[in-house]
Amino acid sequence: MSGLLEVRGLCRKYGTVTALDDLSFDVAAGQVSGFLGPNGAGKTTTMRAIFGLTDLDSGSVRWNGVPVGQAERRRFGYMPEERGLYPGMYVREQVEYLGRLHGLSAGGASAAAGRWLERLGIAERAGSKVETLSHGNQQRVQLAAALVHNPEVLVLDEPLSGLDPIGIDAIGHVLVEQARAGCCVLLSSHQLDQVEDLCEQVTIIDHGRLVAAGTVDQLATSGERRLVVRVEGERTGNWAEGLAGVSVSEMHGGAARLVLQDGVDSDDVLRAAMTAGRVTQFSFGRRRLSEVFREATVAAASGPQS
Amino acid sequence: MKPVYVIAVVVVALIVRLALSRARRGGRAGSGPAPGTQGAGAAGTRAVWPGAARGAAGPGGARGGVRGTAAGLLTAVERSLGDVGVIAAREVRERVRGRIFRVGTLLMLVVIGAAIVVPTLQGPTGRTQQTVAVVGGFPVEARQLVRAVASGNGDSVKLFYEPDVGAAKAALRSGKADFAIVDAKLLLLDEPASAANSPADPALVQGVARYLGVLAAFGTAGLTPSQAALVIGAAPAPVRALQPGSKSATRSTGIIGLVLLFFMLTQYDTWILIGVMQEKSSRVVEVLLATVRPIQLLGGKVLGIGLVALGQAALIVGFALALGAAVGSDLLKGTAPVVLLAELLWLVLGYAFYCWVYAAAGSTAERQDQVQTLALPLSIPVLLAYIFSITVVSTGHADLFFKILAYLPPTAPFCMSVLVSLRQATWWEFTGSVVISLAATVGMAIFAARVYRRAVLRTGGRVHLRELLLRNAR
Repeated sequence: MSGLLEVRGLCRKYGTVTALDDLSFDVAAGQVSGFLGPNGAGKTTTMRAIFGLTDLDSGSVRWNGVPVGQAERRRFGYMPEERGLYPGMYVREQVEYLGRLHGLSAGGASAAAGRWLERLGIAERAGSKVETLSHGNQQRVQLAAALVHNPEVLVLDEPLSGLDPIGIDAIGHVLVEQARAGCCVLLSSHQLDQVEDLCEQVTIIDHGRLVAAGTVDQLATSGERRLVVRVEGERTGNWAEGLAGVSVSEMHGGAARLVLQDGVDSDDVLRAAMTAGRVTQFSFGRRRLSEVFREATVAAASGPQS
Repeated sequence: MKPVYVIAVVVVALIVRLALSRARRGGRAGSGPAPGTQGAGAAGTRAVWPGAARGAAGPGGARGGVRGTAAGLLTAVERSLGDVGVIAAREVRERVRGRIFRVGTLLMLVVIGAAIVVPTLQGPTGRTQQTVAVVGGFPVEARQLVRAVASGNGDSVKLFYEPDVGAAKAALRSGKADFAIVDAKLLLLDEPASAANSPADPALVQGVARYLGVLAAFGTAGLTPSQAALVIGAAPAPVRALQPGSKSATRSTGIIGLVLLFFMLTQYDTWILIGVMQEKSSRVVEVLLATVRPIQLLGGKVLGIGLVALGQAALIVGFALALGAAVGSDLLKGTAPVVLLAELLWLVLGYAFYCWVYAAAGSTAERQDQVQTLALPLSIPVLLAYIFSITVVSTGHADLFFKILAYLPPTAPFCMSVLVSLRQATWWEFTGSVVISLAATVGMAIFAARVYRRAVLRTGGRVHLRELLLRNAR
């Protein structure tokens, strides 16, 4: 199954604040796509725009070439950032209800709700009111509600926030499974590393503008070489500061992540590290998404990016 | 109807109304099933609407039948109206399931039941058994006369003979007799009949005393006992009113109807207000509006709550009519049922008009305290119309200002109902007011849908109408 969600030229100003600034990107079906950016970058506004929940100044959203309207959105699933559930409603009825509003019959909605609650491991809470559930379980109910009608496009705003690693794995697993089955999955996060393993494709925005897009592999392997060097007792990376053509990108878990310009010999770096202390790790690394993001935003600030 | 009684009904209604809104607020905070009932929850929720789940009538018995019919109606609503039907059906289920609704309905039935039954108990129609001791001469005409007075009074009498006055006095003291008749000339009582704990019915005693005197006077005037009986037993001349029914009874019914109208209008419109606010604050509205149009969501909510209101009102009016017929209440004689039906119609019209106003207001608020600041100004026209109407219906005099109010949609539900119960509205005046109200409702719905669409997705503080209209003009 193939499908393409096209976001074209979205613009939205709130007074003097520009939320979306001519934002365009594509989301392909069959894979999990990450929609990344810092707080206030415009992720939520974009997702709301896909569902017609934001009045746009200009721009359009198309699904398989058709402008997205009410009929298309019935086949979409949406999980907003601030959980949209009736607190006093029973879990199962809630999921069934949203199924009905997405065009399922009463019987179909009931069966699908049972299936998804089972699949997400909250079947035993089906008869509880939503407000009595833990944060993690409410998030699962929300996901079940977004999935109940087997959507073609699944848009999730911060689906992993506030979850423990087990919850992240469980929900991540379901999302990957949906993508493999042909669904177009777009999820947002401002914790870039959290979704690095989950997403195959990422779109990074900042200040309502696109700053980078591509597969995780492309983005991770493009650009200058990375070295990860760990020196015992050394947590600042100051030892590398004086080296020509080398800069410290970030300190991660006590290891310095270094960016090497073309022509820099990695052996010189190793020697410098050895004079600073005992070297316990020395390896070439991929760009982390946080590095991709940081470098992309710096580049975007200095000039337009293709 | 005495003014004290009217005031009591009004005050009770206001207290119940207040208590219910308190309970609702309290109930929100600490709800949720008790531990250990989680597994049973799914089965339990099903049982509430057996017909809805299975699409068939519930099990036998009157309750099952009623539920089955209601659930069948709900299924029909869902099928015929698509998304709006699904949304309305959810509202109905959630609302009817609530304890507040059930207790509230029960309370209203009790209050209405009391309003109908209590006056008939106090009135002359309450039958009492009177035991009368007879001493000395007691002609057959006197006996017929006592029985006639008693049946006219709603009493039944049992006569027994005592040999002398002493025995009769003993029977009075022991309570064996309620009063005694000596030689068809003298009535003996243990205590004056007017005393609070006197067993004798004062009206009966007075009537018997009066007619025994008349009987004796006829004897003195030379009439034979049978002639005297003929005169006393003469049927009264027929009395014919130009208009049927009792005006005061119709008026009392009108007042009870006004109380209900006020109670239900504020209740259900507040549900709309709070319902819209809660959907906004919990952000459910985003998920819903991602798949349905704002007008569908709003329409479904209005329809669902409206069906609950209409169902409750129909139940109460049906109950009142049936109970009134059963106990022979004056409250429902003559044109009173017409007044009740007019009030039922105005409940629907009033709800239809105000629900849009409250929905639009609810969509601009995000928190409980914001709702409260909105609810007060919104309820003022209803409250004023209600108080004004109660006053007018009590005095029976509607001035020109009041008649004008009867044509303005915000006040018409109360004022036009009053004119109907005072018989001061012709059918075309009534219809005219209905048409004006319907037209205003359509205009209000269009306006409210516009405000709702703009405001309900706006978060972060109250949305002010000016911003919406400015944005709208752009």
